[in-house]
Amino acid sequence: MPSVTDQDSSVRIRPKEPFNFFHDKRVRSVFYQLLTAAIFGWLVWYLVSNTAHNLEARDMKTGFGFVNSSAGFDTDFKLIDHQPGVDTYGRIFVIGVLNTLLVSFFAIILSTMLGFLVGVIRLSPNWLASKVALAYVEVFRNVPLLIQVVFWYIGVFSILPVVKKTIDLSIGAEVVLLNNRGLYLATPITGSLFWLTTLALIVAVIGVYILRRRAHKLQEQTGKQTKILLPSLALLILLPTLTFVATGMPLSWDIPTLKGFNFVGGTSVPPSFLALLVALSIYHAAQIAEAVRAGILSVNKGQNEAALSIGLKPSRIMSMVVIPQAMPAIVPPMISNWMNTVKNSSLGIAIGYSEIVSLYMQTTLNNAGHAVEIVGMTMAFYMFVSLTISYFLNIYNKRVQLVER
Amino acid sequence: MAVIKAEKTPARPAPLFETSIIGWLRKNMFSSVFNTLLTFFMLYIIYLTVSGVFIWGVADATFVAENRRECYDNSLTGACWAGVIDWLDNIFYGRYPRDQIWRINFGAVLLVFWMAPLWMSRVKGKVLVGATVVVFYPFLAGYLFSGGDKGFFMQVMVSGAIVAFAINMANALTCVIRNMPLNAFLIKTLGKTKAPDKTQRNILLLITAIAFVAAYTLQMNWLVEGVSWTKWGGLFLTLVISGIGIASSLPGGILLALGRRSKLTVIRVLCIGFIEVFRSVPLITVLFMATTMFPLFMPEGFVLNKLVQVIIAVVLFNACYMAETVRAGLQAIPKGQYEGAHTIGLGYWKTTALIIMPQALKHMIPNIVGSFIGLLKDTTLVSIIGLFDILGMLRSISKDVPWIGLHKEPMIFGAILFFILCFSMSKYSRHLEVKLSAGDQH
Repeated sequence: MPSVTDQDSSVRIRPKEPFNFFHDKRVRSVFYQLLTAAIFGWLVWYLVSNTAHNLEARDMKTGFGFVNSSAGFDTDFKLIDHQPGVDTYGRIFVIGVLNTLLVSFFAIILSTMLGFLVGVIRLSPNWLASKVALAYVEVFRNVPLLIQVVFWYIGVFSILPVVKKTIDLSIGAEVVLLNNRGLYLATPITGSLFWLTTLALIVAVIGVYILRRRAHKLQEQTGKQTKILLPSLALLILLPTLTFVATGMPLSWDIPTLKGFNFVGGTSVPPSFLALLVALSIYHAAQIAEAVRAGILSVNKGQNEAALSIGLKPSRIMSMVVIPQAMPAIVPPMISNWMNTVKNSSLGIAIGYSEIVSLYMQTTLNNAGHAVEIVGMTMAFYMFVSLTISYFLNIYNKRVQLVER
Repeated sequence: MAVIKAEKTPARPAPLFETSIIGWLRKNMFSSVFNTLLTFFMLYIIYLTVSGVFIWGVADATFVAENRRECYDNSLTGACWAGVIDWLDNIFYGRYPRDQIWRINFGAVLLVFWMAPLWMSRVKGKVLVGATVVVFYPFLAGYLFSGGDKGFFMQVMVSGAIVAFAINMANALTCVIRNMPLNAFLIKTLGKTKAPDKTQRNILLLITAIAFVAAYTLQMNWLVEGVSWTKWGGLFLTLVISGIGIASSLPGGILLALGRRSKLTVIRVLCIGFIEVFRSVPLITVLFMATTMFPLFMPEGFVLNKLVQVIIAVVLFNACYMAETVRAGLQAIPKGQYEGAHTIGLGYWKTTALIIMPQALKHMIPNIVGSFIGLLKDTTLVSIIGLFDILGMLRSISKDVPWIGLHKEPMIFGAILFFILCFSMSKYSRHLEVKLSAGDQH
């Protein structure tokens, strides 16, 4: 034990302390760590041995082999084909994952847009508007999300008119239809030459990007601002349209039509999807609005005044001075909100939306058993999503910090 | 010709534009064309919402009816609150035996009385009051709510709770009336103020011991009818689960946060792993894990009931969130505080308990209350795994024969109830924040 070192006595003379085994810091630290590790190891061993014993006593099989056996049930909503009795539990897992990601994706987009809008209105000089935004935030933040989800489902989307009295949201065109079986959308079917139109769109986007860079360079060199909005819009719209017409309009629509008791054709989503989407969007928009407000308020007031003094218009001050500086304060809470959106989409189980928890953790677990494996797989999926999102968040934070210095 | 006034010119009144209501309106609501349009748009939205809600929920609503048919006979467009009113007992108490409901109310009143001294400015020893609530109240309330036979441990804890409550009440009384804490009052009454400290302490201990023995013999004869946990439900069950969650997630969160900042690698890694795993999965998966995997974890023949499984899951889950809240508070403490504590010779635990934690927790009050609100809201999830908490009760109204299909009104009633609870909690935390930071110099 290096209690007293003679080697560095040339640098500094340490007082001679008698080495006391029970009061030495390092001995204690090693002892506590060993103790913790031992207790933890014992706990793990205890749980594992209990589980193994219980599984044996109940004659339950273990292992991931069950994901390859066929699942005998079907789901009402799926993005990939599934044949009950033929396809496997593994495929059910994939269907659940895709459904979770689908509803979270749209909920994230909607809630971010709505949240920004409400957050900006909350800071508006108009007293009435800011109070309305405040009421929105307080009401939807203080009511449990589960109650909101259930309300939107049984209070709104499942008591819509029946199929015979379908609401046509596209005003007579019959391409967007809403009834108590869900939302029906006309789906485009692409012809053989449609890839040329896609290509034209990509080319147009690249063209706009180049245009923007050139305008930016010109402004940096000469200080002159060039208007690129009109040419880039023209490029974006005209080029794909011309290609589309020139190739003979290779696109047809699969329109939902009433056959018997239900609509056939097009794309449809069930009411449970709509209810979950609306509830998640509204709830998280309230949270994001608060993050946006706090971020904007964190920008120094002097920035606003300086921008006013050089003659910028209020709308430009917001978009060119305040928001860019507020972003580092807005983005981290916003991304953690996105993460919560993915996690909260698991509430779909309460209204029968077939996302991963209801499809895999409930239905599959009841059908196939294998509690440990199924719970593990579901949790692993959520952990994977969370870790991926926080990885990107860390990258963003590092970049922002570098810019600040 | 210059005019020079000897006295000060009196200040002119502020222009009407600044003080009158019309001036305020022009400035805040009609300052530009866009603003005017926005104001009218918002007025329209407010009109739509308020009039819609008022007509549906009050003007056209039915408050007294026997069943849903009668509601429809009364009005087709209004709400049917009669169903909710008919189920109010179930919503609040679940299926608890109706002649035993006084026990729940008594437990709630007991808690209010126990905690009341925390809000009295003259009462000393508030930390002790809080600690006795957390340590003893759950046992007393637990026996009060579930009843049946008491084991030896339960008997001791219940007697302890009775003694703690009595001391707490007596202390509050002496503090308010005589402005001295209970121990000083007792010593003075016995005329032992001049006695050495050790004698004084022994006298107090003796009194406590006598009180404990008295309470123990008293509670031997106190028996209440057993009520199985399966009969618990409604708002009562929601508050039991979230109450236990709140009381144990804060200490658990503090320990986890300290572990995460520890210099001991093994402890730090374990705490980080634990916190991150629970924070990255949704609560419902943890609840499912509790109900499907806990039975496998237990030794054979040892069965945990569902309520205990759920409570364990809720506590573990929320302790991890609380740990991150506390950690943020710990990070805000300047290094000088640690060094100062070190200089006056405090060790790790004393530094943490006396110097660091009080400051960190004070800073974190809004966030901690925010976590509590989140916990209260999250508790509704237990209805998914089959407990009849408030949401479970609200949803089963629509399955009751007279009120079949009554969905909307119960949900809105639940939303209003939660809004009142959560909103008042967050408002109170903001008030507390202002009050506590008033003494801060920075």
